[in-house]
Amino acid sequence: MSADASAHAETPAGVGQGTITPSGWRSTKLPDVKLLMWVFLASDCMFFGSLIGTYLAYHDRSLTGPFPADVFDIPLTTVSSFVLLMSSLLMVLALHALRSDDIPKFRLWTLGVAAFGTIFLGFQVFEFVHFVNAGLSIHQNLFGTTFFILTGTHGIHVSVGVLWLLAILISSYKKPTSSKDAVYLEIAGLYWHFVDIVWIVIFTVVYLVEFV
Amino acid sequence: MANDQKHGSVGGYILVALILGVITYFEFAIVEYPQAWLGTTMTFVTLAVLSVIKFVMVVMFFMHLKGDDRMYSGFFSSGMVIAVASFIAMTAMFLLPRAMSFARTEASLTQAEGEAGGHAEAELDQELVDLIESNGRSRAAAARADTPTPTDRGVSVEAPRAANDASTYEVQGAGGGELAGPEVAEAAAGEEAGAADAAADAADDAASDEQAADDEEQPQEAADAAAPVEWDRAQGEQVYNSTCSGCHQPAGQGIPGAFPPLANHAAEVYAAGGEEFLAQVVLYGMQGPIQVAGMTYNGLMPAWGSSLDDAAIANVLNHIIAGLGDGAADGFTPYTAEDIAAHRGDELTATEVHDIRAQLGL
Repeated sequence: MSADASAHAETPAGVGQGTITPSGWRSTKLPDVKLLMWVFLASDCMFFGSLIGTYLAYHDRSLTGPFPADVFDIPLTTVSSFVLLMSSLLMVLALHALRSDDIPKFRLWTLGVAAFGTIFLGFQVFEFVHFVNAGLSIHQNLFGTTFFILTGTHGIHVSVGVLWLLAILISSYKKPTSSKDAVYLEIAGLYWHFVDIVWIVIFTVVYLVEFV
Repeated sequence: MANDQKHGSVGGYILVALILGVITYFEFAIVEYPQAWLGTTMTFVTLAVLSVIKFVMVVMFFMHLKGDDRMYSGFFSSGMVIAVASFIAMTAMFLLPRAMSFARTEASLTQAEGEAGGHAEAELDQELVDLIESNGRSRAAAARADTPTPTDRGVSVEAPRAANDASTYEVQGAGGGELAGPEVAEAAAGEEAGAADAAADAADDAASDEQAADDEEQPQEAADAAAPVEWDRAQGEQVYNSTCSGCHQPAGQGIPGAFPPLANHAAEVYAAGGEEFLAQVVLYGMQGPIQVAGMTYNGLMPAWGSSLDDAAIANVLNHIIAGLGDGAADGFTPYTAEDIAAHRGDELTATEVHDIRAQLGL
């Protein structure tokens, strides 16, 4: 904690980082935005936990096809999962670059994360179109309903992450950006990694287990 | 920054990503190229362990939770705990009643077949254990074994999920001709027998269920008998799918313990003198406990009189009696809009309809 306090001293007041406020010392001594992000991620855990639970509760209860094993394409999903994992690597590299005040690399890696996220979304759109062509719409059966709501919600999270990162990237051109702003990239990163770990679970629970 | 060290190095990040990539490939490999020596259970366990490792690695090293302030991990893990708890609660809530009602159905069927009680009970327990341990997969596997994939467009067989409804196979040939249930169910089950491990069991189930059905009531071979009479089949099916199938399920097999089956049961009610009662149930709904095939249902059937017109109710009743399960028995005269209109003036309550059902002696 005392090490943190010295770090906070470097941060200008009013960027959510400060331990001193007009009303006195902040008891958490932590950046508000980051704490808030972790609280949000905790709530998002419950959200996705329920969605995955719903998917499993209705698993194998569809009366008509297509069934998961008819439509899933494991090699394709493995590739898209890999893309999302690697976007997480670019995310930490971007944060690392920003903390080292290496702005060109920070921009490159941030753009990379957004690009990989977009590729992942492309895979998802491709998959959804393929499923619908195979007769699996959101109202076809319980599998369709629970699958599209779960993976669709995840896809919306990814989309939000891409837009967020692009906004950070654009703002880095509009105003001077330095390691002092790292906390904003860090919370976007936390969100991004969280979306990644949700996919780690979905990839295993929804896709892989189907073929065991 | 002062706390650079706790954030790790570029080399460290790349190493973590490399490990994550290798794990992902490994997960893919054991699913795509199944290893016989690993076994199903161990494959499950391996996949679970690998994805937990990935999860933890990302949280620890990419999200820097390792070494960061403990308040973050406190918040996050409390969310995780609640998420996992509600996940377990939800799974239990759905799978346990399902497993138990399935077991009850099996029990009543087994009794009907007059098999030795002790033996049946032992089998049941095993089935229940399998079902719970496998998160409901074992029954589903058996049920799916006699359900052709949707690619078999020639014949589509709706396999009911509950064992007591094995006699409700709805079979439609490519030409729309309806075949008698038991024969086709047997044929379908037989056809799949070589395809899956579970198929042998399923065929047994199907055969014994038909036995039970035969014992209880005359086999209804009168699918052809309903054919000559004209009614709007398209509307009947359309109304059924949009209004009834949500609860009573697409093939009319119902949901054990929640919504009674209609396939064959409606024909049975009709044959027992329930012609007017069936019209009243749809018009005015029904409330109160009923028994169908040894299982108690205590739900609420909504009244449809205000949202469906006479023709729609007549056609959907005809679809339910003649189009689901084995079809109608001899002596079924399809409903007409006039038949329904005649009961518009009855003005019954859902409880009164329940009393009328009791008078049928079902």
